[in-house]
Amino acid sequence: MKCPRCDSNKIEVIATSPVGNVWEVYECMDCFYSWRSTETPNIHEKFKLTKEQIDNLPVIPPVPPLDK
Amino acid sequence: MAKVYQDLRSFLTTLEENGQLVRIKDEVDPEPDIAAAGRAAANLENGPAVLFENIKGYPYSVVTNVHGSWANHALMLGMPKTASTKEQFHEINRRWDKYPVKPEILSREQAPCKENTIDNPDEINLFDILPLYRINEQDGGFFLSKASIITADPTEPENFDKLNVGTYRIQVKGRNRVGIQALAFHDIAVQLEAAERKNEKVPICITVGNSPLVTYMASTPVMYTQNEYEFVGALQDGVPTRIVKSDLFDNLYVPAGSEVVLEGYIEPRVREVEGPFGEFPGSYSGSRRQCVITITHITHRTNPIFENLYLGIPWTEIDFLIALNTSVPLYQQIKRDLPEVQAVNAMYTHGIGCIISTKVRFGGFGKEVAFRLLSTPHGGSYSKIIIIVDEFVDPFNLPQVMWALTTRVRPDKDVVVIPNCPGMPLDPSSYPAGIHSKLIIDATTPKDPEPNPREAELLEPPAGYEKYEALIRKLMAEM
Repeated sequence: MKCPRCDSNKIEVIATSPVGNVWEVYECMDCFYSWRSTETPNIHEKFKLTKEQIDNLPVIPPVPPLDK
Repeated sequence: MAKVYQDLRSFLTTLEENGQLVRIKDEVDPEPDIAAAGRAAANLENGPAVLFENIKGYPYSVVTNVHGSWANHALMLGMPKTASTKEQFHEINRRWDKYPVKPEILSREQAPCKENTIDNPDEINLFDILPLYRINEQDGGFFLSKASIITADPTEPENFDKLNVGTYRIQVKGRNRVGIQALAFHDIAVQLEAAERKNEKVPICITVGNSPLVTYMASTPVMYTQNEYEFVGALQDGVPTRIVKSDLFDNLYVPAGSEVVLEGYIEPRVREVEGPFGEFPGSYSGSRRQCVITITHITHRTNPIFENLYLGIPWTEIDFLIALNTSVPLYQQIKRDLPEVQAVNAMYTHGIGCIISTKVRFGGFGKEVAFRLLSTPHGGSYSKIIIIVDEFVDPFNLPQVMWALTTRVRPDKDVVVIPNCPGMPLDPSSYPAGIHSKLIIDATTPKDPEPNPREAELLEPPAGYEKYEALIRKLMAEM
């Protein structure tokens, strides 16, 4: 299985339905996109991510320097 | 005495009694049904709350659009559901002056939110407790959009005034991990920075499903040293709200009636991809690297109800929630220094657009009022388009505001643009994100020493018009 957003293959099952065996939830461990097995993700081109883009995303809020 | 709610459930009962809550009993899919109902309810005039009783794969229920109409907003305040927006604005201002009202601290045994406890970190699974779902199609995951989140100041953890109750969007990233958006100009970022400088975890409680005024105050921009629980008591017309100590942290207090309380830590100096997420301006805010929380402890009521909201192209539930709770504190903060101010309408796009009605003390005073708005905690970053009108113009009445714009504005002197000011990154026109220009439009009548070569003499209504208003109303009622 591949991540529909960043194409990574580091996918984990983060949940199975608490009632019945009707769905699972998957998550990409590189970009943290998650989706349910009953969904069909259709990620817009502008929301897809490459490894380089992930590394360069803005940081909110900025991490302050450590006190000496 | 107005009706007071100490939990979500009692408010839902009142909504149902007033025809402002509908139940969907048939089984639905988490996607896209719950989000679709939130969008649909907001599209209706006086849309009701929608309670889903049966969601595929989950044991518990979801309620959406709880605050999503003026009728529900009035019932939250214990007012008749027909109360107008302006009536609600003035009633909130009346109660606001009762701040501070100390909350009532319950024992653990008295607090409904402690009915069930999951204290083994290995057994934490958010999906067991909350029917999580995707709100908008391109969202990066399942979000909590309406949680009230409690944190303390790490440098003064015992200071109750600095205990913060705020609403921040939360992305679920695992059975015990979530992401949080801590924007730099919100209170939680002050506390986070103090802890991250020492590489310390930030204790945090995320509460879901609260009495409507707790949710209301959590999304209200009060001053950093003002405790939100003491405002809830004021807005309950002097009746204290009920809180209880968190299980893990002696200095954190949560609403006693919460449906679900998630306790854990913000991991210091860690940022991970969060988003995108459909936001209140009606567009997606893109992915950013944001903070991460580990949940280690949960308490919840038996059969908890997951209260969450839909947000998207205005107006949706969130626009009703943040309409007057943005306007009232801005009014109070400006009026403290400039008593000529009559009312503030910051209902549009969370105060990005703001209309202020004021008496003009001396020439140029309209701009002074705008500057004061732009130095408040919320107006400084959010407010971008500021319109100042005379005291006889109702800022909630847009036809009157258009009248003021068309008859009081000389663009060469009354319209000012100030570049490179603090901005709101979720505003899609802000560039770079978090920086914008301010537009001030002074639509007040010139006053000495500003020259006014063409005096604008207002028309007086013909004598006896009030009598005829009453008579015409009566004749129409008889038709």
